[in-house]
Amino acid sequence: MSHALVVRGLIKKFGSHVAVDDISFEVPRGVVYGILGPNGAGKSTTLRMINDIFAPDAGEIVVLDGFRPGPEAAARIGYLPEERGLYPKMKVGDMVAFIAELRGLTRGDARHKAAVWLDRLGLGQWAKNKVADLSKGMQQKVQFATALIHEPELVILDEPWSGLDPINAEVLRDAVEEIRASGRTVLFSTHQMEQAEKLVDHVCIIARGKKLLDGKLKDIQRREAAEGLVSLGFGDAAARVAAQAVLADRSLVAAGAAALVEPADGGADREVKLADGATAQRLLAALVTAGVTLRRFEVVVPSLHKIFVDRVGASATVAERRPEAS
Amino acid sequence: MSDVRDTLVIARRELAERVQSKWFVAITLLGPIGMVALVIIPSLLIGNPAGTRIEIIDQTCPAEGRCPALHDRKGALATPLSEALALAQWKPVIIAADTPEQVEMDRIRDKQINGFVTIPEDALGAGVIVYRGDNGSSPVVRETLRLLASQLVQAERGRRAQISPDKLASIIQPVAVESRQTNGKNEAASGQASFFLGYALAYILFLVITIYAVAVMRSVVQEKTSRVMELMVATVKPRSLMAGKILGVGGAGLIQVAIWLTIGALTLAYREQILGLFGASGGGSGLPSLSAGEVVVALLYFVLGYFFYASIYAAVGAMVSSEQDTQQVQLPVTLLLVVGIVSVTAVSGDPRGFTAAVMTTVPFWSPLLMPMRILLGGASAGEVALSLVVLAVATVLVASAAARIYRVGVLMYGKRPSPRELLRWLRY
Repeated sequence: MSHALVVRGLIKKFGSHVAVDDISFEVPRGVVYGILGPNGAGKSTTLRMINDIFAPDAGEIVVLDGFRPGPEAAARIGYLPEERGLYPKMKVGDMVAFIAELRGLTRGDARHKAAVWLDRLGLGQWAKNKVADLSKGMQQKVQFATALIHEPELVILDEPWSGLDPINAEVLRDAVEEIRASGRTVLFSTHQMEQAEKLVDHVCIIARGKKLLDGKLKDIQRREAAEGLVSLGFGDAAARVAAQAVLADRSLVAAGAAALVEPADGGADREVKLADGATAQRLLAALVTAGVTLRRFEVVVPSLHKIFVDRVGASATVAERRPEAS
Repeated sequence: MSDVRDTLVIARRELAERVQSKWFVAITLLGPIGMVALVIIPSLLIGNPAGTRIEIIDQTCPAEGRCPALHDRKGALATPLSEALALAQWKPVIIAADTPEQVEMDRIRDKQINGFVTIPEDALGAGVIVYRGDNGSSPVVRETLRLLASQLVQAERGRRAQISPDKLASIIQPVAVESRQTNGKNEAASGQASFFLGYALAYILFLVITIYAVAVMRSVVQEKTSRVMELMVATVKPRSLMAGKILGVGGAGLIQVAIWLTIGALTLAYREQILGLFGASGGGSGLPSLSAGEVVVALLYFVLGYFFYASIYAAVGAMVSSEQDTQQVQLPVTLLLVVGIVSVTAVSGDPRGFTAAVMTTVPFWSPLLMPMRILLGGASAGEVALSLVVLAVATVLVASAAARIYRVGVLMYGKRPSPRELLRWLRY
């Protein structure tokens, strides 16, 4: 299978702090791939190594089946860095063309494409203005243009949603969909699970520099669902009472607070966790036998947010110190 | 190959951003106005003594042994002095020898006259001729009076000693003494002119370095503060970024210096005409002209010296995260430059001495001092070659060390590295 990116055994230390600790993952071509993790997990450091900003202490990075991080790979990668910034005194059109030229386009081609991209992002009439004259949102779009102008096969976006309003967040999601539709690959990092869930095909969750899990989001969700949460909606008050006996059966429903999960959505009255060895099928049969009228019976597919919180744990979401400052 | 291309693209951007800025245009044009002002203002400040209304009180005796009462006395010096001053376009008036000083002081206060000169009775002996006036501090006024009065007094002394005017002229003729700079092979035009030119070269390089090498540093820091740095280092090698920056800023500097030098040369060439426009006059001996070889060597030191210091300043920029921090970190570098400029007199005083030889070989100072030492004839071809090789090698070493520091330092925000961390960066 052809890969947009293969990362094997990546390690990066800053002094005594291990920012990235033996991380491996593979990004197939034509997918949207999310690297998820709390602040300080090592996401940006990983992306920076792929972009040849940092050299890894150990491990291997292969870009687009055959390139090492460096100038040749850079011509095929578009990168939206975590540190957003442009030359404030430069004209918007010149800024975009300048980056395009450094990414390998000829000067004429760069100027032409810069004009096209600015028009596309609705910034055409600002091309002759200085970057500093633009609002922050518009500067974000210009930054985005610098990542896409050379039509890279692999687009890497570091925390693309940070600082975006809901409308521009939507614009960004559309742009990512469009890149995927054209058969190219998007790799992004984020800690905003809601945004990621709407887009990603594959995820890799990391925390404290270590990989916790990776794979297709659907597979992961199926796996997590099998361990199972069931969401119940009762037909009436009588049904609720009738259900009590069944839900108290420890062979069907797990004990303790975990069994009484707060329902995640308004349609459910109750969310229960199945006991070990129990199946949703058996629970349904027991409820029906007990004469409980059900308005709803649903095997809950866990949200990415839930998977993330379960895996990473609440403690790890506390921001650690920035690895760069060490 | 792509490194070279990247470097040039970055250099072009740096150059364009500078050349297009209003400040650059303003300073490039105002610089020469400043230079013209430097030539003109001293002349204007000195002032033109022509038209000075001066009154002469001469208390000397008209001839030996014949000395009427002060009231009737007509001194021996008043008339020739008055004539000589009139020739210099002053407006002299001879007044009574017994005029009280207070009367004249009042006339100065009331602006009826600029001043008055008192020639005492013993002026032909040890007496002091005193001028008091509202332009009494002007060197031109002082020199004019000193020159004329001493000539007239000497002539009168001669006449009374019955020495013929011809004989007297040959006795009081000034003795010419000149000192010339030479190394035994060739001879510079004049010691003073060579020194002046060498001094000017040292200072121009000092200025160019402090302006443009520091501009490189500021440009690095600004890339950090505007947070564009990560985009740049993801796109090009930090080495190319640094090289492009040094080239681009240096190019802007070269354009500016070329414009300045052209205007400066024109100003010097047409000095008299320009001064004439402002109603001032001035002279001065011509500067020695440079041979083509000397110009080439001076330019080599300019370029290498700029690259040498620009690399150091680029590394300094990479080490800090804000403009304020640069003050402290750049201090050692600035001190190095100051040591160089302070040593100018040591080198010019003994161009062939040991100190001069050492200072013009050490790369920190050779760009500032060697052009001057060459002009003064103190350096052999071998010494120049050695110094250039040392400077070139040092520049390459400094640039590659700076590139390493740059590579690690550009993405550091916050805390400044300790010397030990800096050493670690060098080994990356």
